[in-house]
Amino acid sequence: MKKIRHKTLKFASLLLLLFLSTGIIVGAWYVKTVEQVVAVKFEGQKWQFPSKIYSDTSLLYVGMNLRTEELAEKLRRLGYHEVRQSPQARGEYRFLKRDGLLEIYLQDFAYPLEKFKGFPIQIALQRGTIAKMANRNTGEEHFSLELEPELITGLYNRIWEERRLVKLSDVPPLLVHAVLSIEDERFYRHRGIDPVAILRASWVNLRSGAVVQGGSTLTQQLMKNFFLDEGRTLQRKFKEALMALIAERKYSKEEILENYLNEIYLGQKGAQGIFGVWEASQFYFLKEPKELTVGEMALLAGLIRAPGRYSPYRSIELATQRRNVVLGKMLQEKILTRGQYEAAVREAIQRRELIKVANDAPFYVDFLRRELAENYSNEVLTAEGLKIFTSLDLHLQRLAERALADGLKRLEETYPYLRKRGEEDHLEGAIIVVKPQTGEIKAMVGGRDYQKSQFNRVFQARRQPGSTVKPFTYLGAFMYGSEEGGKKFTSATLVDDSPFTWSYEGQEWTPRNYKEEYFGTVTVRTALEKSLNSATVRIAREVGINKIRDLAYRLGIESSLPALPSLVLGGVEVTPLELATAFSTLANNGVRTHPLAVKQVMDQEGRALEKRDIRVERVISPQMAFMINHLLKGVLDRGTGYGARAQGFDRAAAGKTGTTNDLKDAWFAGYTPDLLAVVWVGFDNQTKLGLSGAQAALPIWTDFMKRATAGTPVTDFVPPPGIKMVNIDPLSGYLATSNCPRVILEAFIEGEEPSGYCPLHPAPFARLLREPIDLLSWILSPFLGK
Amino acid sequence: MRPRVILVLFLFPLLAQACATRPTYRPSSHGRSPVPPSPTSPQAPVPSVKPQASQPKPLTEEAKIKEQDLRERRPPVQEKADQSSGSGPSREAPSLPDDSSLIAKITPMTSPQRAASLRLTEEGRKLLDAGEYTKALARLERTISIDSTNPYSHYYLAKAHYHLGHYQESLNFLGVAESRLDGEPFWLAEVFALKGENFRALGFSQKADSSYSEALRLNSRNRAASEGLSRLRGERPPDYY
Repeated sequence: MKKIRHKTLKFASLLLLLFLSTGIIVGAWYVKTVEQVVAVKFEGQKWQFPSKIYSDTSLLYVGMNLRTEELAEKLRRLGYHEVRQSPQARGEYRFLKRDGLLEIYLQDFAYPLEKFKGFPIQIALQRGTIAKMANRNTGEEHFSLELEPELITGLYNRIWEERRLVKLSDVPPLLVHAVLSIEDERFYRHRGIDPVAILRASWVNLRSGAVVQGGSTLTQQLMKNFFLDEGRTLQRKFKEALMALIAERKYSKEEILENYLNEIYLGQKGAQGIFGVWEASQFYFLKEPKELTVGEMALLAGLIRAPGRYSPYRSIELATQRRNVVLGKMLQEKILTRGQYEAAVREAIQRRELIKVANDAPFYVDFLRRELAENYSNEVLTAEGLKIFTSLDLHLQRLAERALADGLKRLEETYPYLRKRGEEDHLEGAIIVVKPQTGEIKAMVGGRDYQKSQFNRVFQARRQPGSTVKPFTYLGAFMYGSEEGGKKFTSATLVDDSPFTWSYEGQEWTPRNYKEEYFGTVTVRTALEKSLNSATVRIAREVGINKIRDLAYRLGIESSLPALPSLVLGGVEVTPLELATAFSTLANNGVRTHPLAVKQVMDQEGRALEKRDIRVERVISPQMAFMINHLLKGVLDRGTGYGARAQGFDRAAAGKTGTTNDLKDAWFAGYTPDLLAVVWVGFDNQTKLGLSGAQAALPIWTDFMKRATAGTPVTDFVPPPGIKMVNIDPLSGYLATSNCPRVILEAFIEGEEPSGYCPLHPAPFARLLREPIDLLSWILSPFLGK
Repeated sequence: MRPRVILVLFLFPLLAQACATRPTYRPSSHGRSPVPPSPTSPQAPVPSVKPQASQPKPLTEEAKIKEQDLRERRPPVQEKADQSSGSGPSREAPSLPDDSSLIAKITPMTSPQRAASLRLTEEGRKLLDAGEYTKALARLERTISIDSTNPYSHYYLAKAHYHLGHYQESLNFLGVAESRLDGEPFWLAEVFALKGENFRALGFSQKADSSYSEALRLNSRNRAASEGLSRLRGERPPDYY
């Protein structure tokens, strides 16, 4: 019996030993695993840094027409605050309307190649233009000034953690003390967990009957933020404590503190979470940590417990109370003298409005992502904190979004049959805005509602452009003339606009005019202004399809174009982006630029990783470009684009409407010398729109351009050398006489202008007698031709 | 047509006398819409040259302009220069603008855009002189978005690209600068000299030679062209001044 008991005892002991040793081994393995996890975090990449996308910078220069409301709006978007007194700190501005003075304390900004240090600038305005700009501190005069770019969005994975790393040595010691005094006063005396603090918190919680105080050390908080979720389970607390002990054993107090100061969550700015003391001091005070006052440091330290509740953006009173609690603790711990304490308590927290600007431009950002994907993986973009500088102009972007949304809504109201008939049957549109001289894409709206459809019609939708491609035929006519016989074309050449059939490679094709209206003999100008299909196809037949197609490629069309007669009337498929590039070449006097959205990419350390240059290439002569621009101005002044004038857009501008034969697509591509926009309206599923480009796209274009060009210098297309401007009778195409009821100032290559006078409206006899050469010319004109 | 014939007979003596003092035709002011003067770049008057008769030319398959297309229907620079300086390279360089500072080109008549663009171009030029080519490029790119008709910014952009080794880009910018510098032989010479440098760097000796020669024809004192040509032909550069 005794033997049996002895055996049982022995077996139990063995079992216990086995159990204990297994426990020890498993425990050791677990500790080792946790230790590895902690080490990986501490020694590897601790944070994901979202890449940030910025708009283009804005340039202010002496003599520039400045719309103060627009500038004020921009300053607000940039995070500047209007103040009543003269601006004393970066990010403040004041506008003295009566004195015509604008004072801005510019913010710092790190550009890819240089760091800009903010300074106070005073801008004197005279009759709405900038008369002088000078540094208020030094008096130095500035002739131009660049306002920093606006943040559009971040590229991030799950949440947008906005954080800039700071070294412990760069954090003011008082700020460190403020944080320690309120969060972990015994930080330097414990080894990761603080039994005293735990007991104290337990006692307080027991007395109050709820969890009102925590006993976590700063190291435990860091471990929780690094690795764990928000739950308060015993298992999580155990793991947190274990990790804290491991971290304290492996790493110095300074390393832990530095990580903590960079890790903590301190507020929210729209989609951006504000993490770490550097970012918080910028967010709340527009300062770097080393510039903070004692009161401001205490306020930041007080925020750690509940950033939302104690935010000065939310409540000055609560923020002040909390700050004073921190200051009290600092006094109690003799970090502050009584004098410092009292001075800090007297500091008034400045009331500021939290400007949450939704600067997003989702279609544009999608386009950027596609462009960036060539060189950067998604992992790099979402974690390595790149700064991406773009061509985007947020002001124009907002105007484009508004013009499209309002325009489509208006169309649905005017033509109820266009209203939504199903998810796939929704009236859609797109706008792209380009600066012709540089190719910079200033705005892009790829659809009506990004939330509902992310399909970016600006570069993903290939649609028939209709008559928008007609200018390529006219350009070909000016450049090459007739393929057979060498006939030259000018804007005043007469062409036949009657129905005809073109036999091409065994196929017969009969182009038809809009509404079957034919105009007989018309000038080249009238044919384009009225977008006459029959006359245009006749011209194309003389020029040759291959030449027209090659010109389209040369100008900027990249889609494959079949060399078929239908190309002339837009029976091909292109994207709005391609059309914008091609028309930009015309607007830019024959110099083709390449679409530019991403301009520069900078890494987190401020090194320029990439710069995408403005690329130019002269593809047609300035004379030819001017002739086409001058012709296309008539489209707005008299032709199918006249609706723009009727809507009050009175600047010099050129453009072309586009309507497909089956009325599925409506287009307008138009431009001033400085800004170009292409608008498309239609249905994704190719449902019939039933409207022309003039009816559907032109009003949207006009609405946008009116607002976009308001206040900017008025410019016109300048005739280059070698161009002669002559008054022409639009009916006969001859030189106008004083009897011609309508006269058009026409552009010709020098030497190609007509020499005869209008036979339809001869000049009065008396005048002819006074000017005998005119008379001779008039008499002989039927023999001489033009 | 018949009344006109009668008129010819009737008025012939009158016409014979009047033809000698014919006033130039003034188009009717009725319905006239004058072309506004350029707000940014008053173009220098260019002698009227009758363009060459343009015959239709076949296009190359690639979407690039050919040299004859560029010159097509445009008064050739050479002809104008020839008219002013006679045949062959001019030994006495004409009075040329000083290129020491672009700021000097700003007058009270200069538009604000052109003035701002010129000032930034000057900044870019200084950066180029300091060897800061990338910075210069970024600065100069701003200038064309303010005033795209500023030919000097295109020239200096070409220079920046040349220094960065982007020879084709440089030639492209020079193509634009050239078309906007009509009537400025000093600057055209600079453009051709830089073209020569680019062609040389690309290994096109023939084109480099003709570009340098054109630069020297426009300005016989263009040092870059002279040195470039000498290097190219293996000659010793001549003494200047």
